[in-house]
Amino acid sequence: MEDLGLKIFGAILTTILGFTVGMTYGGIVRKLTARVQNRYGPPFYQNFLDLLKLQVKKTNIAHGFMGHMAPVWIIIAAVTVLLFIPILNGNLWFPNMSFHGDLIFLLYMMVFGSLGMALGAGQSGNPNSAIGVSRGLSQMVGFEIPFVLSLVALMIQYETTSVQELTQIQHETGVWNAISNPFAFLAALFASLGMFRYSPFDIVGAPAELASGPVSEFGGKYLGTMMSGGAIFAFIKLTLYVHLFLGGAGNPDNTGIIATLLGLGVLLIKTFTLYMVPVFYGWINPRYRTEQAIQYFWRWPTALGIIGVIWAVYS
Amino acid sequence: MNIFFLIILIFFSGAILSFIINRIAPKFSGITTFVTIAVVSFLFFTQVEINSITQFSLGGIQMQFGVNNYTYIFAILVLGLSLLASLFSIKYMQDNDRLGYFYSNFILSIAGMVGIIFSRDFISFFIFWEIMTWSSYLIVIYDGARSSRSGLKYMIFSAIGAYAMLTAIVSIKGSYGTFIISEAIENGAFNFTDHIYIPIMLLVGFAVKAALMPLHVWAPNAYSKSPMSFTAIFSGAMSKMGILGMGLVLASVYSHSTDENAFNVLILRQILGWLGGITAVMATIYALIQTDAKKLLAYSSVAQLGYIIVGLSTGTKLGVMAALFLAIIHAVFKGALFMVAGAVERQVGTTDMTKISGLIRKMPFTFFTALVSIIALAGIPPLGGFVGKWMLYEALITESNNYFLVIVIFFSSTAAFMYSYRFLFGLFLGQEEKEIEHVKEAPVTMIIPMVILALILIVTGVYPGILFEPIAQGMQYLGYSDVNWDMSVLVNVWGEESNMAYINLTIGVVFVVIFIFLTLKNLKGTRYVGTKDISTSGEIPTENENLTFQLDFFKPFQRAAAPLYKRSMDKIWNDLGNALEAIFDFTRRIYTGNGQTYALFVIIFLVILLIFKNTLFTN
Amino acid sequence: MINDKDSQKIVDYIQNFARKQSLFVMAYGTGCGAIEIPATMTSRYDAERFGIRGAATPRQADVLLITGYLATKTLKRVIRVYEQMQEPKYVIGFGSCTINGGMYFDSYNTINALEQYIPVDVYINGCMPRPESVISGFVKLQELIQQGKADNGKKYRENLEWYRTNQKKIIKNWKMPDYNW
Repeated sequence: MEDLGLKIFGAILTTILGFTVGMTYGGIVRKLTARVQNRYGPPFYQNFLDLLKLQVKKTNIAHGFMGHMAPVWIIIAAVTVLLFIPILNGNLWFPNMSFHGDLIFLLYMMVFGSLGMALGAGQSGNPNSAIGVSRGLSQMVGFEIPFVLSLVALMIQYETTSVQELTQIQHETGVWNAISNPFAFLAALFASLGMFRYSPFDIVGAPAELASGPVSEFGGKYLGTMMSGGAIFAFIKLTLYVHLFLGGAGNPDNTGIIATLLGLGVLLIKTFTLYMVPVFYGWINPRYRTEQAIQYFWRWPTALGIIGVIWAVYS
Repeated sequence: MNIFFLIILIFFSGAILSFIINRIAPKFSGITTFVTIAVVSFLFFTQVEINSITQFSLGGIQMQFGVNNYTYIFAILVLGLSLLASLFSIKYMQDNDRLGYFYSNFILSIAGMVGIIFSRDFISFFIFWEIMTWSSYLIVIYDGARSSRSGLKYMIFSAIGAYAMLTAIVSIKGSYGTFIISEAIENGAFNFTDHIYIPIMLLVGFAVKAALMPLHVWAPNAYSKSPMSFTAIFSGAMSKMGILGMGLVLASVYSHSTDENAFNVLILRQILGWLGGITAVMATIYALIQTDAKKLLAYSSVAQLGYIIVGLSTGTKLGVMAALFLAIIHAVFKGALFMVAGAVERQVGTTDMTKISGLIRKMPFTFFTALVSIIALAGIPPLGGFVGKWMLYEALITESNNYFLVIVIFFSSTAAFMYSYRFLFGLFLGQEEKEIEHVKEAPVTMIIPMVILALILIVTGVYPGILFEPIAQGMQYLGYSDVNWDMSVLVNVWGEESNMAYINLTIGVVFVVIFIFLTLKNLKGTRYVGTKDISTSGEIPTENENLTFQLDFFKPFQRAAAPLYKRSMDKIWNDLGNALEAIFDFTRRIYTGNGQTYALFVIIFLVILLIFKNTLFTN
Repeated sequence: MINDKDSQKIVDYIQNFARKQSLFVMAYGTGCGAIEIPATMTSRYDAERFGIRGAATPRQADVLLITGYLATKTLKRVIRVYEQMQEPKYVIGFGSCTINGGMYFDSYNTINALEQYIPVDVYINGCMPRPESVISGFVKLQELIQQGKADNGKKYRENLEWYRTNQKKIIKNWKMPDYNW
C-alpha cells in the first residue's frame, strides 16, 4: 500500500514537473522571440499568468459533449505518455512505467490527444477548426514517416523497443545514439520541426489565416486545460528525444538528492538545447502551404531516415 | 443425427423457411433468420466437440466434417457476428421488398461459411465456398440494375479465384492422392518444394476473398452496394474465410517445411508481405478521398485486410497471432462500423458525408459505437485494435527483416487516422443542419448489436487474453509450439512488453480526475451553445447557410500525394479488359459471314498443307 | 475558508492580478485606427511586455478594442463579437470617434457614442491616438481590473433591455440570435 502511495505521489510530482517545465519553456521562447524581433517581450512566467487568467474566466461555453471532452483527452494522453517515459534514467523519484509500455505504445498514445482535440474541434462546427484539423492530420502523416524511420533504426540497431533500455545502453557505452546513428538522429530532428509546429510548419493554428484553427471555439477553462496539455506534450517530446538520442539524463547507480538534481539539470539543459532547434528554424521562415509541408518531410528527412535504417542494419 | 449435418440442415431449412414466410408475413422473415442463426449458435457452442470427426462418402469420395482449434476461432467470429448482424437486419431491412430473397441468401451465405469451417476435405470445402460466393453475389445485386456492374465484377473475380482453387484441388488429388486437408498438409502439398503451383493457385483463390492487391477491385463496390446489415458480415466475416485459407497454407509452409529459410519460402514471404503492404497503403489513400461513408468503410476494409495478410506473411509466432487477433478485431469493429453506416442510412436516408453532418446529438448511441470502433480501427490505445497493431509492428520489427515494410504499414496506419476522423466528422460532427432536425436515434434492435460490439472492443482492450486463448490453441494446431500469451500483457521476442491493464488503469484514473475537474469547475458559468453560435468574424450565419467543411476535405494531402493517386488497379484491369476485347474483336472479324471468305480460308489452308507436305507427313 | 473575508480578498487579488497581466485583445479593426495596432504590438512600442496579446477569435479574447468610427452596419458585428466573448470582458474605445463621433459626428451612417450600445471601460482620446496613448489606455484598464472595477459584462447583462433598445434604434432589420446565458 505504501508503495502505491509513493507511486501516486511520484506520478503527481512528474506531472507537475512536466507541466512547469513545458510552460516555462513556452514563456522563455516567447521572450526570446521578442528579443530576436528587437522587442522587450513578456516576462518568462507570462504563460502561467495566461493560464491562470483562462482558468478564472467567469463564463465558458461548450459546443457539446465532444467539445467538453476534448481537453480531457489531451490531458489523458499527455499525462499517460509522461508517466510511461523515463524522466531520469533509473531514478525512483519518478515512477516511470516504461517497463509497461514501449515505443510503439508511446507513438500511438501521443495521437490519442490529437484525435480528441480534433473531435472537439469538429463538434464546434466552425469551418476554420475543420480546416485546421484536416491540415494537422495531413501534416502528421508527413512528419511521422521520418520519425518512425529513425525509431525503427534505433530499435533494430540495439534490438530493443523500450525507451528505458535505449537510455541504459547509451549510459553504459557512453556513446550517444545521435553519434552512433547520426542519420536517424537527423531524420528525427527534421521530424521535430513538424512536431512542435513552429514556423514554417505552423499551418494548423495558422494565426491570421485560420483564426487559430482547431482551438478557435475554445476559451476559458477549456483553452487553459488545452494549454497545459500542450505544455506537457512539449516536455514529453523533448524528454523522449533526449532519452532516445542525446544520452538521456540521470545516473541509475546514484539516486541521491544531489545526483537527482544534477540529473534534472542535465535533462533541462539538453531539452532546452533541443527545443531551440525548431524555434530557431521558425524565426527565419515564413509559413509553408500544407502540401509543401508534407512534401518537405517526404524528401530529405525520409531519405535520411532510410539511410539511418540501412546504417542500423549494417552496423 | 450427427451435429454437423443437423447444423447444415437447420441452415438450409431456415433459408427455405424464411423465403416461404416472407410470402405469408414479411415481418417475420428477419426474425426467422435471427432464430435460425441463434439456434445454430446455441447448438454449435454447446454440442460441437473440438477435434471430433464425422466421415461419410459421397459418390465414392471420402469426405470429412469436423472442427479443429484453428477453425474454431473463425467459428466464433462468423457465428457471433452473424447473430448480431441478423438482429440488426430485422429493423434495418424492414421497409424493403423481396425480403425472402435477401434473407434466404443471407442464411445460405452463413451456411457456406459455417460449412467451410466444418470441412476437413477439399471437396466439401469447395462446395461450401461456392455456396458462400453465389449467395453473396445474389445479395450484392439485390439492388437490381444499380449494382449489377459491381456484382459482375465480384462474380468475375470470384470465378478466377474458384477456378484457381479447383485446379489446385484436382492437382493435389493427382499428386498426393488425397482430398483430406490435413493429409495433404502432412504429405507436404504446400511445402513449395515440388508442385509450387498448388499453394500459389490456392493462395490466389483465397486472395480474391481476402481482397489482396491485384485482385481486390471488386471489394469496394461490392461492400458498399450490398445492404449494410449484410456488409457487416461480408466485410467482417466472409473476407476472413480467405484469411482462414491463407493461414492454413502459409502456416503449413512455415511450420511444416523442412527448411524455413528456403529461397522460395523467403520469396513468398516477401511477395505476400509487400502485396499486403501495398494493398494497405493504396486502399487507405483511396479511402480518405471518398465522400460516401459506405465506400470509405469499404476501402478501409481492404486496407485492414492488408495488415492481416502482412501479419500472416511474417509466419512468426507473434505475426500470425497478430494477424488472427486483427482478423477477429477487424470483424468486430468493421461489423460495428457498417452497422453504424446502416443505422445512419436508415434514419437519414443517405450516407453521403457532404449531405449530412452533426448527427451526434440526434444519434448518441450510434455515435458512441462509431467512436469506439474508430478508435479501435485507428489502433489508438487502449482498445482492442491497438493490441493487434502493437503485435503486428513488434513482429515486423523484431522477427522479420522487412524493415521498410514497417514504414509502409506505418504510413498506411497514420493515414488511416485521416479517414477515421473523416468518417466521424462527416457523419456526426460539424454543423447541425436544419435538414437533419427530424432525425431520431435508430430502433433498439439496431442499437443493441452495435453497442455489444463496442463493448467487446473495450473489454478486449483491457483483457486481450480472452481472444488469445482460442488463438493460441488454433496456432498450436497450425504447428506452432509453445505459444505464450497473457491475460493483459503483450510481450515481444526481445522481452519488451505492453501492459494493457496498467495502461487502461492509468488512462482511467487520469480520465476520471480530469473529467470531474473540468466538469465541476465553474459549472454554473458553463453553458451549452448550438453549432450556429460560432465566431465567424461577427457575421451571423443564417438558418440555411451551410458552414460545414466537407468537400475535398483532404485536398492538400491529395496534392502532396498526387503521384500515388495516378495509378489505380481498377484502371489497369479495365485497360486489360479493353485490350482483351480488342483481341477478341479482331478474332471475330475472321467470321465475316461471307461464303467467299470462308472458301478463301479453305484454299489458303490447302495451300499451306501442300507447301509443308513434306515436313508434316514424313511417312 | 472561501467565505472568510480576508481569504476572499487574497483570492480576488490573485485573480485580478492574472487578469490584468494577461490581456488577450480582439482588435476589431474598424476605421482608420487599425493602423496604430501593428505599431503598438511590434518592436518599437511592444505591448506584449504588459501581457497584451492578440486573440484570434472572440472566444479566447478578454478585451474588445474598437479602433475608430463605427458604421451602423459594423455595429451589428461588433455587438455579435462582444456577446460571444466570455466574462470578464472589457471594451476599450479607441479614438475620438468612439467617444462622440469625432469628425464623423454628423454622419448619417456612423454612430456617435459607443457607450450607448456596449459598455465601455476605457476610452483613449485622440485622432489618432499614438501608440503611447494606446498603451497608457491599457495600463489604465489594468489599474481598473486590479481594483475590480472593470467588469462590464455583468453591467451589460443586467441592463440588457436598455442596450437592446438603443441597438435596435440603429439596426433596423434586427436578426440577432438571443443572448442566452
